[in-house]
Amino acid sequence: MKLNLQAKVSSPQDLRAITLEVRQYAQWFSQYSIKKRVSSSKSDAPPPMSETGVALIKELTDSKQLSQAGLDELIAALENLETTSPRITITLAAAAPNSLKKTLVAWCREQIEPNILVDFRFNSTLLGGMVVRYGSHVYDWSFRRQILAARGSFPEILRRV
Amino acid sequence: MGGGTFLQIFLLVDVFIMGVLVAVAVRHANAHFRPAKHEAGKPQPAVADEHLPTAVKEHLLKTSQDQFQLMLERSIGQLQHNLGDTSEQINNLIKNLATEVVSSELEQYRANLGRLHAQAEKDLGGIKQAMDGYQTELRAQVAQELEAEKQQLIKQIDTKLSDAVGSFLIETLQHNVDLGSQAAYLTAVLEEHKADFIREVADEAQPAG
Repeated sequence: MKLNLQAKVSSPQDLRAITLEVRQYAQWFSQYSIKKRVSSSKSDAPPPMSETGVALIKELTDSKQLSQAGLDELIAALENLETTSPRITITLAAAAPNSLKKTLVAWCREQIEPNILVDFRFNSTLLGGMVVRYGSHVYDWSFRRQILAARGSFPEILRRV
Repeated sequence: MGGGTFLQIFLLVDVFIMGVLVAVAVRHANAHFRPAKHEAGKPQPAVADEHLPTAVKEHLLKTSQDQFQLMLERSIGQLQHNLGDTSEQINNLIKNLATEVVSSELEQYRANLGRLHAQAEKDLGGIKQAMDGYQTELRAQVAQELEAEKQQLIKQIDTKLSDAVGSFLIETLQHNVDLGSQAAYLTAVLEEHKADFIREVADEAQPAG
């Protein structure tokens, strides 16, 4: 089963949360199917789901009828994505606002990999810019790094003032 | 050297003449004051005295004595005159010789003094040249050390200044972070290094594939 992650599912935590939601939904659906077969009484309401979870279930039911096998397949696909998707960690100087997160995630999925998972962190000592860790590489594009790297040119700049 | 030889010859001749004169004077004096005694056994020549009167004999004797006295006085005068001349010439020669010796010694002294002066000047020149070289070298060394010290101090000041400015910037900027305004910058940075990420993805996908 081929899945395309939505923009809201950006980080591994988001993906795990969605997988958990779908798993709970599958559990409820299993109980609902059994109760439906043995009695006509009303069963419990489905568990509350996020928009993303709802959209995933809807996407699944668009192509074929909702079944336990289809839900298991969706869970397997989500778990597979969690283990195989490339991950990138972006550390910013402050907690990233949603708009910035969307922008960066969109860029990563367009330019690097469609299902890449982006983990956002923050460290106030960076002052600005970002530190990107991908695989075994760390790219430090923080302001702190740039200030420290340009420290040798401060006296020259001050002499010109 | 020629003057010395001449002086020696002249002195020898003078001494010889003086010797001759002294010998003549002594002979005459001896003959006068100690007449020769005639031996008794020998036959005496016939004496004319016996035939001369006493007055003549006395007159002859007196005349002889006068002449001998005159001769002796002349000889003494001449000898004194010669001695005076000789003494004067000797004095002149000694004076000339002394002058020549003194001049020669003085000339030699001057030559030695000049040579020593030249040697001293040469030595002093070498010493001065060595001192100039050492002074130049010392000056260059001091200048070099001062320059190194100066550069070291400038470097230390620059380092402290850099630390101060860096700390100031870090401390100041830490409290004014606006990520919203950095979105374009962050995207641009990612775009700039897009090739690195794509290559990284390809490298990670290769062993899995």
